[in-house]
Amino acid sequence: MMTNPRELIDGYFDDRLTVEQHEALSEWIKANPENARIFANATLLHDRLRNTFAIVDEVHSNVTLPREGRENASNVTLALPREDKGFLFWRTTAAAAVLIAGLATLWFSVGTSTASAAIRELDRIIVNSMRSKDRTYEIVVEDIATDRRGKGPESQRPPKPPLDGATLHVRSGNQFVLLRKTQQGLPFITGSNGKQSWSINTRGPVRVSSDIHRFDHDLPGHETSVPLTNLHEGLQQLKYAYDLTFSTLGPEEYRPQDGHEARLLIAVKKPKERGPQRVEIVYDSITGGVMRVRFVQMPYGPDRLDLRLSLLSEEELPANFFEHTSHHAPDRKVETED
Amino acid sequence: MDEQYQQAIRYWTLAQPVVSAYVAAVVRDFRDRDDVLQSISVAVLESFASYDTTRPFVAWAMGIARNQIGTYLRERKRNRLVFDAETIDTLSIAFEQVESEQNRKLDLLQECLSKLEGRARHLCELRYQNDLKPSSIASLLGMTPNTVAKSLQRVRDQLRQCIDRRAALDGGQS
Repeated sequence: MMTNPRELIDGYFDDRLTVEQHEALSEWIKANPENARIFANATLLHDRLRNTFAIVDEVHSNVTLPREGRENASNVTLALPREDKGFLFWRTTAAAAVLIAGLATLWFSVGTSTASAAIRELDRIIVNSMRSKDRTYEIVVEDIATDRRGKGPESQRPPKPPLDGATLHVRSGNQFVLLRKTQQGLPFITGSNGKQSWSINTRGPVRVSSDIHRFDHDLPGHETSVPLTNLHEGLQQLKYAYDLTFSTLGPEEYRPQDGHEARLLIAVKKPKERGPQRVEIVYDSITGGVMRVRFVQMPYGPDRLDLRLSLLSEEELPANFFEHTSHHAPDRKVETED
Repeated sequence: MDEQYQQAIRYWTLAQPVVSAYVAAVVRDFRDRDDVLQSISVAVLESFASYDTTRPFVAWAMGIARNQIGTYLRERKRNRLVFDAETIDTLSIAFEQVESEQNRKLDLLQECLSKLEGRARHLCELRYQNDLKPSSIASLLGMTPNTVAKSLQRVRDQLRQCIDRRAALDGGQS
């Protein structure tokens, strides 16, 4: 006979309580706010356990049958008496994302549990990316395709500074520093402290603007809401403009360390949406931290780039690192624009 | 993307674990929980324009969750194994007060799960991945339902202790 509260709580989670025990638990919760708090904390763990294992199930099953199809399939292939597969949870986050785009009806007509689980994983990645951690990425351009039609406005503009070999430092709150070299091999640095943006070229004054997007035209992705310098914003865009799937990576690509497995989330652009054709995110299955992002056919002026960002470090940078003054000589002329 | 939509999804992404747990506290069946949470997501995002940003978002979302849970329970009013309105309100307040730190600590769960081996791990998989109740697990493993329930209780205790230990260690290092 269960009498102590901890047993009643666990019995409740596992559907083992009699009516009398259920009433006893209810009375215990109401008796004291501290009791309610203990119950709430226990439920957080119980709920997180379910979500965690449901994701594992989705990753490894990699099946995209609708719910009814899955149930039928499992009746054939599984000996286990599955009482409730609970795959619908992931539709919740799918619903949220799709509402954002005003496309709920469309989503539910095509959504699958795997896609929804992928959105749930994307949520974890987004939450991780929102944390105040400094991150440094190396940028490698794998391929450049130029739009040879040359009729767009971008084709009239001067060539963009190359990105291959660039280093990108990011901090939450729209702060970044992007260090790269011009085609002449001279340093070219752009950045933002979250309140001002700035651009430092070898020649001419340091340009500073209160518009934090003032110098974005020299950054890929800004035209399509997938800015390279603000992964968090780009990840939000993936939630509604892309179809998501995911899988694990083989040990030849990433060696698991201390139980940390690398997972691959693949986002493919929906028709009529703007942005890179495909985005591949390699992330830590435990922390949700982004280890590598690969953009395929990312618009950059008249070009389409295949490029990847690889995490170099998560070491804290100096507090003033995202100020322009940290990146040029003190006697440089500074020109402030509106 | 519209700034308001971005804000809505940002807030909802952060609030969802707590709201999800609140729903799970009242709606035990995982599938039903998923359906209720889905309707809450829809309602939260549809009515986001009416959210007063000077108020805590979790409390506002919890209000919507209470309404959706109320609708769910009205359809099941004959079930005696559901909490009464007063208990649900008490829980709502408790979940609103869940500290973000408490919620964040649960990010360490995956790490603690990775250290779980053997029967403990298998029990967790059967309970949470296959969604089997102790009686079904017992018949699969040749145990009594009571032993399974006790073992699950122990596993959850172990995980809770592991999370607390890891959190204390992380806190001490920062």
